[in-house]
Amino acid sequence: MDFKDYYAVLGVSESATPEEIKKAYRKLARKYHPDVSKEADASDRFKDVGEAYEVLKDPEKRAEYDQLRKYGTRDDGSFQPPPGWQSASGFGGGGYTEADARQFSDFFEEIFGGGRRGGFGGGGFRQSMRMRGEDVHARLALFLEEAFNGCEKQVSFTVHEPDDQGRLIPRQKTLKVKIPAGMREGQHIRLKGQGAPGVGGGESGDLFIEVELAPHPHFSIEGRDVLVTVPISPWEAALGATVTVPTVSGKVNVKVPKGATSGRKLRLKGKGFPGKHPGDQIVVLQVAMPEQHTAEAEALYEKLAELEKGFNPRSKLHV
Amino acid sequence: MTSKDRILTVEVTDTDGSTFSLREICERGDCHAEFVIKLVDYGVIAPLDEVPEMRQWQFDVAALSRLQKALRLQRDLKLNLPGLAISLELLDEVQDMRREVDRLNQRIRQLMGE
Repeated sequence: MDFKDYYAVLGVSESATPEEIKKAYRKLARKYHPDVSKEADASDRFKDVGEAYEVLKDPEKRAEYDQLRKYGTRDDGSFQPPPGWQSASGFGGGGYTEADARQFSDFFEEIFGGGRRGGFGGGGFRQSMRMRGEDVHARLALFLEEAFNGCEKQVSFTVHEPDDQGRLIPRQKTLKVKIPAGMREGQHIRLKGQGAPGVGGGESGDLFIEVELAPHPHFSIEGRDVLVTVPISPWEAALGATVTVPTVSGKVNVKVPKGATSGRKLRLKGKGFPGKHPGDQIVVLQVAMPEQHTAEAEALYEKLAELEKGFNPRSKLHV
Repeated sequence: MTSKDRILTVEVTDTDGSTFSLREICERGDCHAEFVIKLVDYGVIAPLDEVPEMRQWQFDVAALSRLQKALRLQRDLKLNLPGLAISLELLDEVQDMRREVDRLNQRIRQLMGE
């Protein structure tokens, strides 16, 4: 087991005053709160910070921790509490904490013990009452095509289940879920009874899955509409043409009107997200130029320049 | 400590059609109705448009998830109600802006033909 340096976690010195510890904790708790931070390890950091504060804010626990810090660490950095170690201020004897002690580390458990007994200081309370299981919230990232057409996905999440002694033990659950077609970013799927199991005959909680969409290289989403930028040649723009454009459900032919400009939008009805009120696909035209021209094409452009010399593409800039 | 479950195939029973009464949302959030009522007063969560014949509030999954977020923030950061209201509004704004930045970056990449 590795030693946890709670002072380093909070970024304070060993001689920090309770006020300094509280200040550091508050700052880091705001920074790493999983509902606030987008950093990948925010949840772990937040737990570490909470655990460190739980120990260092309490003069008794802090004194015990300081002693262990002195005698418990080995040269290789690993940690073993001295033989016969028993905490006087731990949770085992009905100690009270505001924090969610079941989230704490093995290191914490080893020193102060009892943290995983459900936060109630024992198992009896939980066992003797009927309680609905916790709802679990999970996120699921889908590719656009998967969200569009529906798919079957594997979802893994952690639930806390009581063991024989009423201790809450984290357990990884994996489900295969059939995702219906037309799910959009931020929508929820509810799976009844797939959350944490109830206690004392209480019903199980539900699993709520929030859908996220992975960015697509060509398509972007606006509400129920799907946007795609389609390059066209200058002559297709000038003369009008029928061009093939991609949609999420396959290719379609689209009529580009004569005199089209870059940024012109064409709406393909019903080609957006499926559902009761299906969205549209919006095609944004973009005039693309060949990288090189033949001498003959250049001559034609010169002729065009002569014919269209009244056209000033920069008139809006007043130049 | 953790063990892997066998894989179950489940059907989706409900998408955004799920709604909860005030009592249900309190049960799921493990909080008092007074707290939910205050959150509604502060505009932190909103019941669905009232259906006259139901004569009671109904909340959707987004409101439940927002209530649970509010409870976590209150518990962990000791925020009071006005603090909660402004934090959640700002967090929403940050999330919307992050999404918009992602979307615009994606559009730029598409336009640049990357």
